[in-house]
Amino acid sequence: MTTSTGSAMTVAGKDSGGARSRRRMDLIVKSNLLLVFLALCVVATLLAPQFLTGRNIANLLQQSALTGIVAIGMTMVVLTAGIDLSVGSVAAFGGMTVALLMGSGVPVVAAILLSIAAGALFGGFMGGLSAYLSLPSFMTTLAGLTAIRGLTYLLTDGKPADVGGAPEAFQLLGGGFVGYVPIIGIVFVVITILAALVLRGTTFGEYVYAVGSNKEAARLSGLPVRAVITAVFAVSGALAALAGVLLTSRLTVGQPTAFSGLELDAIAAVVLGGTNLFGGRGGVFGTFVAVLLLSVLRNLCNLLGLGSFFQMVVTGLILLVALILNMLIERRGARA
Amino acid sequence: MTGTAERLRMSGIVKRFPGTVALDGVELTVRPGEVHCLLGENGAGKSTLMKILAGSYRPDEGTILLDGEPFSPVTPHAGLAAGIAVIYQELDLLPDLTVAQNLLLGRSPRYGPFVRRSRRAGLAREALDRVGARFPVTTPVRELPIAAQQLTAIAKALTADARVIVMDEPSATLGESELLAVFDVIRSLTAEGRSVIFISHRMDEVMEIGDRATVLRDGRTVGVYDLTSTGPGELVAAMIGEAKELVRPSGHRAPEGEPLLRVDRVHLPGLLDVRDLEVRRGEIVGLAGLGGAGRTTLLRALFGDLKAHVTARLDGRPLRVGSPAAAVRAGLALVPESRKEHGLMLGLSVGRNAAIAALGRPPWLLPGRAGRRLTQPALADLGVKCAGPDQLVGQLSGGNQQKIVLAKWITRGGIRLLLLDEPTRGLDVGAKADLYRQVRHLADQGVAVLLASSELNELTANTDQIQVLYEGRNVARFDPRDSLESVIAHTVITGAMP
Repeated sequence: MTTSTGSAMTVAGKDSGGARSRRRMDLIVKSNLLLVFLALCVVATLLAPQFLTGRNIANLLQQSALTGIVAIGMTMVVLTAGIDLSVGSVAAFGGMTVALLMGSGVPVVAAILLSIAAGALFGGFMGGLSAYLSLPSFMTTLAGLTAIRGLTYLLTDGKPADVGGAPEAFQLLGGGFVGYVPIIGIVFVVITILAALVLRGTTFGEYVYAVGSNKEAARLSGLPVRAVITAVFAVSGALAALAGVLLTSRLTVGQPTAFSGLELDAIAAVVLGGTNLFGGRGGVFGTFVAVLLLSVLRNLCNLLGLGSFFQMVVTGLILLVALILNMLIERRGARA
Repeated sequence: MTGTAERLRMSGIVKRFPGTVALDGVELTVRPGEVHCLLGENGAGKSTLMKILAGSYRPDEGTILLDGEPFSPVTPHAGLAAGIAVIYQELDLLPDLTVAQNLLLGRSPRYGPFVRRSRRAGLAREALDRVGARFPVTTPVRELPIAAQQLTAIAKALTADARVIVMDEPSATLGESELLAVFDVIRSLTAEGRSVIFISHRMDEVMEIGDRATVLRDGRTVGVYDLTSTGPGELVAAMIGEAKELVRPSGHRAPEGEPLLRVDRVHLPGLLDVRDLEVRRGEIVGLAGLGGAGRTTLLRALFGDLKAHVTARLDGRPLRVGSPAAAVRAGLALVPESRKEHGLMLGLSVGRNAAIAALGRPPWLLPGRAGRRLTQPALADLGVKCAGPDQLVGQLSGGNQQKIVLAKWITRGGIRLLLLDEPTRGLDVGAKADLYRQVRHLADQGVAVLLASSELNELTANTDQIQVLYEGRNVARFDPRDSLESVIAHTVITGAMP
């Protein structure tokens, strides 16, 4: 990402003044979030000395990784002007299936891959319905949210699923550390980088932006619009299922009630990260920073002993302020 | 001049935008009961001036007198209340509401909180009758043909009892006969003493309907002309400021050889039935016809965008296009009617727009960089004026945007049949000539071109063959070298040769 931003800036060098100031503005918008994030970290350190301890940072990464992984998939969906409300249910389903499969003796790797594939199938099915029948993805995934959650309960009649004698490797995946760094944090970072490479460095990524920017123009340019939409939902489903697998690995038990409301946290991070809900603009790095920011905020409230009710209010207000700021900056850019 | 003889006087109007001066001391006076044409190339400042008049923008300097009274609208609502009605090119109607709802939007007759529906329908009917429209007021606007929507917009301007009515290129979306109906309405408006400011690129219309004309160039008033004593050549010269070739005479020569595209029949029940149409390599075939005659439908059907029965051969092999993607693979390319809605991704950069169709081929990685490299030749060939490949395409002028649509296909390469639908709509004279030059250049490289346009003079000047569509059928074929434009025009309007 840093390299691609760098090359964009060198091209900007020979642009007119207006375009250059616009790009500087873009840069401020982009780094704005990062600045706020860093400022918040400084504030947190001052207010609560234990914020900057290795244990707390590790804790923070661990808490944000699962939502983060899901939010990365959500970013791709939102870039095509879609929305995926089913991620919470798909994640729970993935967590349950991996537990049940392993409980019935399926090898670890196969169980994980099967669960992720199931998530991709669910996502692809809902996305495909939306793409090929021109249904709003809000509706197909809302249906998915309910139906897949129900399916998850049906697997065990609502009871948690025991992983059984899970090998240690599986437990390490969700609960292990490399030094102070939690493994799921590393997974989150790797997925973010992969998604950025796909979005910025492949034809498929270019198609995602094109479809989100103007579906009709993309179609009349001969792009496989419906396949692209189906694919981003499949990716979102797969990543949601992966989040479920990781949670099961950490808890060593599959919880059918897990991840309820996850979709809203993910969407909040995507929006806070500067991705346009109408598609075509944004990216995964904004989402990455936004996920950490929301997590730091929550962490700070915890350290200060403020209750979760207070946290919810603050999170909502931060979202609102971020949206208004983005709007103001964008409007300023549009006038130039 | 005395104050009473003037309906509107805008003087010394200056409007600056960051980095540019859009208007630099513009003068405009309009008399009561006159049709005053506002002329100028794209970017001359016509739209900005009208937005100031309507109250959408505030001028940095200058004064406006309306019937001798100082007038400085701060919102479009204030402009409307003072009697300034603007009919924009992109009609500002709400498509899902009925004609009556649109006509009296925000001003419906009421009993307390309740709308008096029959009274509203009556008022709407009166307004429609005044413009000679016969469709029912209960029709949702979405279901009306574009000409009827235009009439609705004019009728809406009249319900506000406007003193000055601004029409921004009404003809861009109208066919010939519909335009005549609009002209009748304009004449009856001026007969009532209302003033009409008429913006158009078409000189024939300006000469027919206008009383006087103000020409703008680069944000300044070049001159005011009495149209009874001024010829179109003088106006165009004033608009472009230097002796520039209007339409480049293309050395028409009939291309030889087998047709690349041979259409036996394109059939869509009730809409389209085109038979026996041929386009050779290097040939530009023009499609003429009124609005709704089937030009767009034919192009979309060939491009696989409509489910039509297409029996055609491309290069001797049956043409099977189930989708635009299949059409593109077969070597077809479409420049659609509305570049903003269908041609471009306005929120993305010039480079990404121009590269998008080419990415279906390897290399699959790093499309951003590869795209920038791939698009350079096409952008340079077409002479696109932009700050660089990273500029947003939405910030370009209409002519340059249309070039990006073309660049998209040139970058992809391998075009065999190029379909263009009203490619010069909304472009100024220079940009039009430039576009036709590019299309001819592509044809010279062996591309077969099918070009639909409402501008007959453009077709006669730039094509090798003209097919006239009438009510979905191709009724006549002309060779522009030895056909009278009046004969073609007659065929376009009546469906038969005189």
